[in-house]
Amino acid sequence: MNFWETITGSDLTRDWKAFEARAAALPADYQAAWNQIVGNLFAYGNFTGRNLMPILDAALGLLEEAAADGQSVHEVLGDDIPGFCAALAGGEGARTYRDRWREQLNRNVARKLRRLGG
Amino acid sequence: MDGLTEMLKGTLEGCVLEIIGGEETYGYAITRRLNELGFTDVVEGTVYTILLRLERNGLVQVTKRPSEVGPPRKFYVLNDAGREELAAFWAKWQYVSSRIDSLKEGPR
Amino acid sequence: MGIQDMIEGKKQWRAHVARVKALPPDYQIVYKEMQRYLFKVGPTDLAGEDLLPGIVDFFEEGAAAGKGVLQLIGSDVAAFCDDLIKESPTYADVYQKSLNGNPGTDEK
Repeated sequence: MNFWETITGSDLTRDWKAFEARAAALPADYQAAWNQIVGNLFAYGNFTGRNLMPILDAALGLLEEAAADGQSVHEVLGDDIPGFCAALAGGEGARTYRDRWREQLNRNVARKLRRLGG
Repeated sequence: MDGLTEMLKGTLEGCVLEIIGGEETYGYAITRRLNELGFTDVVEGTVYTILLRLERNGLVQVTKRPSEVGPPRKFYVLNDAGREELAAFWAKWQYVSSRIDSLKEGPR
Repeated sequence: MGIQDMIEGKKQWRAHVARVKALPPDYQIVYKEMQRYLFKVGPTDLAGEDLLPGIVDFFEEGAAAGKGVLQLIGSDVAAFCDDLIKESPTYADVYQKSLNGNPGTDEK
């Protein structure tokens, strides 16, 4: 991705290539979501790339793990990817998102354990 | 007593330090001790997160020992830093509880 | 780099996943949901070697003792997760800090 190289400098290109290779192994709907996440995170001003790498890394990890589990990408990210990305980057509204993730976690656990018992 | 979770936050760590200070022990035994003491809401997971922090902050020495059932168990003892932390906890506790008691007794 | 290293250091990650799969079903469910939450929150502790494997150690012990997973950690799984990473800044914190002055010194 040339865009990446121009803003980050080539020392990050190798990391980025590794991300691309990992993303390419994802199902199509996940790849689409990944591209959206990347696009959204790029929109954040004043970043050198380096400080966003771990955030991208964790997001990709999430997608990989959920895809391996056979879940729909929608179930994992919801429908507000820009909001999700704002939360990932810790911007405004991040706290609200974290609360939502908390609720989602407890709700999913309760639902899946119930299904297991029944 | 139920519903103590919020109030216990911040003091539970001191309680765990005190229990470990008494003798070398492990997570489940610490939980049992707290439950017997009357803190029935405390689950092993809570104690696990406290032990993790104590370990990260270098307040305890950890030894893994085989157990009769299942995987090896982590045993904890206080080191010097842990003993200092424990003393600091009791000093703070004494201060807070004496202030709150005097509040309850009213102005003199 | 943390998760990438773990996932790309495939052997280690695969061993970790195999341990998760060997847990009883209720533990597996909770572990997976927790991991997903932790990936979203992105604590820098994820990059350490002990956060995720440590949870599995703890779960193995609980399962071996014949406990249900919620009996072990309580029903507020999110609170348990937050306790686990209480002292760890998140990647978002690090990023935000790098924006507020000192560009290039995003190390904490």
